[in-house]
Amino acid sequence: MEIALIGNPNTGKTSLFNNLTGSYEYVGNWSGVTVEKKVGVFKNNIGHLIDLPGVYTLNPLSKDEGVVTSFFLNESVDRLLNILDASQLERNLHLTLQLLEFEKPALIGLNMIDVANKRGIHIDASKLSEVLGVPVVPVVARSGKGCDKLVDVIATKSIQPTKKNLVYYGKEVEEAITLLTAKISGKTNHSARFLAIQYFEGNDYVKDYVNSIADAEKLEAITANLELQLQKLYESKSLANFIYLKRKEVIESIVADVARKSNSDIPLSEKIDSIVTNRYVGMPIFLLLMYLMFMLTFDWLGTPLSDGLDALLTGPVTVGFEKVLTAINASEFIHALIINGLVAGVGGVLVFVPQIFILFFFISLLEDSGYMARVALVMDRIMESVGLNGKAFIPMMIGFGCNVPGIMAARTIETPRERLLTILLTPLMSCSARLPVYALFVGAFFAGNKAFVVLSLYVLGIVVALILAKIFSSTILKSETSLFVIELPPYRLPQFQSLWRSTWDKGKGFVRKAGTFIFAGSVFIWLLSYAGPNGLNVDMDHSYLAAIGNAIAPIFAPIGFSTWQASASLITGFLAKEAIISTMNIIYFVPNDASLQGLLADYYTPLAAYSFMVFILLYIPCLATVATIYKETTSKKWTAFSMIYAFAIAYVLSLIIYQGGRLLGFV
Amino acid sequence: MFGSLKAGDKGKIIDISHVGHLVQRRLLDLGITEGSEVCVKCVMPFGGPIMIESCGQCVGIRRREAVQIEVERI
Ligand SMILES: Nc1nc2c(ncn2[C@@H]2O[C@H](COP(=O)(O)OP(=O)(O)OP(=O)(O)O)[C@@H](O)[C@H]2O)c(=O)[nH]1
Ligand SMILES: [Mg+2]
Repeated sequence: MEIALIGNPNTGKTSLFNNLTGSYEYVGNWSGVTVEKKVGVFKNNIGHLIDLPGVYTLNPLSKDEGVVTSFFLNESVDRLLNILDASQLERNLHLTLQLLEFEKPALIGLNMIDVANKRGIHIDASKLSEVLGVPVVPVVARSGKGCDKLVDVIATKSIQPTKKNLVYYGKEVEEAITLLTAKISGKTNHSARFLAIQYFEGNDYVKDYVNSIADAEKLEAITANLELQLQKLYESKSLANFIYLKRKEVIESIVADVARKSNSDIPLSEKIDSIVTNRYVGMPIFLLLMYLMFMLTFDWLGTPLSDGLDALLTGPVTVGFEKVLTAINASEFIHALIINGLVAGVGGVLVFVPQIFILFFFISLLEDSGYMARVALVMDRIMESVGLNGKAFIPMMIGFGCNVPGIMAARTIETPRERLLTILLTPLMSCSARLPVYALFVGAFFAGNKAFVVLSLYVLGIVVALILAKIFSSTILKSETSLFVIELPPYRLPQFQSLWRSTWDKGKGFVRKAGTFIFAGSVFIWLLSYAGPNGLNVDMDHSYLAAIGNAIAPIFAPIGFSTWQASASLITGFLAKEAIISTMNIIYFVPNDASLQGLLADYYTPLAAYSFMVFILLYIPCLATVATIYKETTSKKWTAFSMIYAFAIAYVLSLIIYQGGRLLGFV
Repeated sequence: MFGSLKAGDKGKIIDISHVGHLVQRRLLDLGITEGSEVCVKCVMPFGGPIMIESCGQCVGIRRREAVQIEVERI
């Protein structure tokens, strides 16, 4: 059995999905968290549950909403599970009425009962069920309350809606519906009435579908005629608006029937909002929060933890490996592979796990609290001035964790031009995989003001993105249309458990990558550094790796790092940014107590180190990001562009910093 | 006019037809249309967006669009 979850954005569909299937998909307190269809299996194995992006109506504006409409038209499901936000019943019912017109077995999960009750809204579920003709089950998706009942109802055999034509659209529209249905009935498995109404509303997906089975011109004529009639008789603005108003009438009478409102106190949300979106302190508060996040990640908490882990890995763990290897009489080759290759390469990346988890914890906190949408609001003025809109800031913030989900999140941006621009610029946000590089270099060269130097890199990423947005939007991506309407969800106090889960879920990827990709990469890189044209166990300067590095090293001479070691690590950095660190750990491997940080001082000046960090920040999106850019833009041209412009801008900026710095007398 | 409302003021929308088509649609999705009662929650500086509330739902829109919405003070 296939069951599809459908509902308005941010009503808790994914929360319910996670609860019913025991999986962990992305939950966050803003509209447009889920952008793709996800399939899961019910815990008690009664079938598949399909999570979809949230939509307000079936007539889509953005790409993630289109996913739902095409799902409706092209795939068959056994049941529709419509999730309603009980505290926003009126708005939610517009979608419900459209779903019921689809005439498929349906049931309703009335979610966020706790929120509604707090606001003094009480809904009579059995009455609602009676009016709509489908089962209605009250649930609290976050805590799992009522979910058992819901599963029971889903599993029962027949839940064909008992009522038809809940909305009467008036004589003229109904007649036109009959005309249109006559043209398409028999040619489709879908409800003809549903198709007709969606067609009249101007749903492009349905239009394409219907035109493929019937004569487009005749349908057009019916619509034009109807529109004219309505204009003459009722002075209606448009057909879509007329239909909307008819639905609204029905909804108002339903809500008057089933909902009761009592007095409630002022929600906490409003009190918080009066501060964080305050016209004067809104922006400073945002910057302050970012600063706190940085200090905790790089200074107060993260660094001591990472140093501890480092001491553990280079000390007891390495010694332990050595002991085991000696005990089993491992050959010199195996010994070197494990100690100089794997422990150095993988361990060098794992050291940064604490810092990365702290960063992810903060990002999850931002996502779950409801602050994300406020940031978009606060940033809109700046974003507008560079040809973007505030919503583009959400993908960018997510990009601080990892660019891949950031780029996916751009789907909720309605206009294609702004979406493309956001996709192109999100890779400039410094993701968590770049963090180890900074941590290593600031530790070696800027120990006094670690957090400040790293912060400067993050800010540089944002500033470059804004400047490029301005340049791109006034040259290659010119267009007038821009749309910014953002729903600001009420604040929800994040639960510790869900915070931890989403932190873990993001951090897990990093650890897993270290265990697979970086693991394999470390072996490979070590082999390249171990073998050379003259045989095995060569001096590293005569290895294949050195030969590869030397081939491109001259390019980087003007920007301060012409060693083959830097070039070699930059190449591996394209595969994954953490690989830069594992490569360096392997290349600069020192068996004794001299640390990598100490050794780096022999190869870089502080100025060259900063130039190197800037280059790493910008130079090219990693392989996974490039693949995502291609998937999202479906354009080879734009994918190539995203790589080339990044490299060019990185080179130019590093050049300015390095040569400019030298002129000013820094070394 | 929306432009003349300040944070804390309440009003009723009487004409929204001058606003761009896309924005109009999006507001309609959120249940904001002619006849809706709205309350201005806050106004961002430097011509930034404004935050309005309608039926317990907060929405951010740009100043440019906001001034095109005709509102009657209540
Ligand atoms: N208080 C309360 N909060 C809930 C409930 N269900 C979900 N939430 C919260 O509501 C927010 C949105 O939940 P999601 O599951 O991401 O919503 P969604 O419908 O999947 O959202 P989109 O994917 O954006 O359409 C999260 O912060 C949840 O923790 C509930 O029953 N009560
Ligand atoms: Mg979701």
